[in-house]
Amino acid sequence: MIKSLIITHGGLGKELIKVCEKIFNKNIDIECICFNWEEDGTIAINKVENFIEKNKGNKIMIFTDMFGGSPSNICFEFVDKNIEVITGINLPGLLKFLTYREKNMDFKKLAKIVKKGAIEGVNIIGEYLGEKND
Amino acid sequence: MIEEKVEIINKLGLHARAAAKLSHLANTFDSDIFIVFNEDKVNAKSLLGILTLAASVGNYISIIADGKDEKRAVKEIKGLFEKKFDEES
Repeated sequence: MIKSLIITHGGLGKELIKVCEKIFNKNIDIECICFNWEEDGTIAINKVENFIEKNKGNKIMIFTDMFGGSPSNICFEFVDKNIEVITGINLPGLLKFLTYREKNMDFKKLAKIVKKGAIEGVNIIGEYLGEKND
Repeated sequence: MIEEKVEIINKLGLHARAAAKLSHLANTFDSDIFIVFNEDKVNAKSLLGILTLAASVGNYISIIADGKDEKRAVKEIKGLFEKKFDEES
């Protein structure tokens, strides 16, 4: 089982998990770290280290809310063959991950699929309707 | 291969929760299953694929199944639409 962690500014990650639970109508095994605006990152880094230690032996997918933001920046050092970080996570990306996480596929390939799902979830409706009406 | 048309009769159309139920059900069958709406054909086992159809109440979609359990798949998926995804009484 791939273990997963969401690290976001404020409570964004918690809300994303709640929405996914509502959509799938079941509890979802993803932990969340809400990055405290006031702190320098030490507490969050400790929490990430604890999560990794606790889930040693598993693959770990970490999601953060924005490339370049503190939650992402503290994760760079953790990436290795068993740990990947996907930044800018959104609802479509998370739903993609939850749909594929149990399919026993290559971990790095899964990361690519999730990234693609997240990007494809961003559309300009005017353009989308234009394409449909062409 | 079997194809059947069905009207979307739940108020919210093929929204996230309905699409999750549909893809979950489709994944219980071995057959290849597709949903067709206008010119778009998506894999019924893909939640995000279904959402891209943006199909709403009053629209008609087609369910296409191809495989050894195709008959049961179409019947059960059609049933899900007919009972409004258990969202409304």
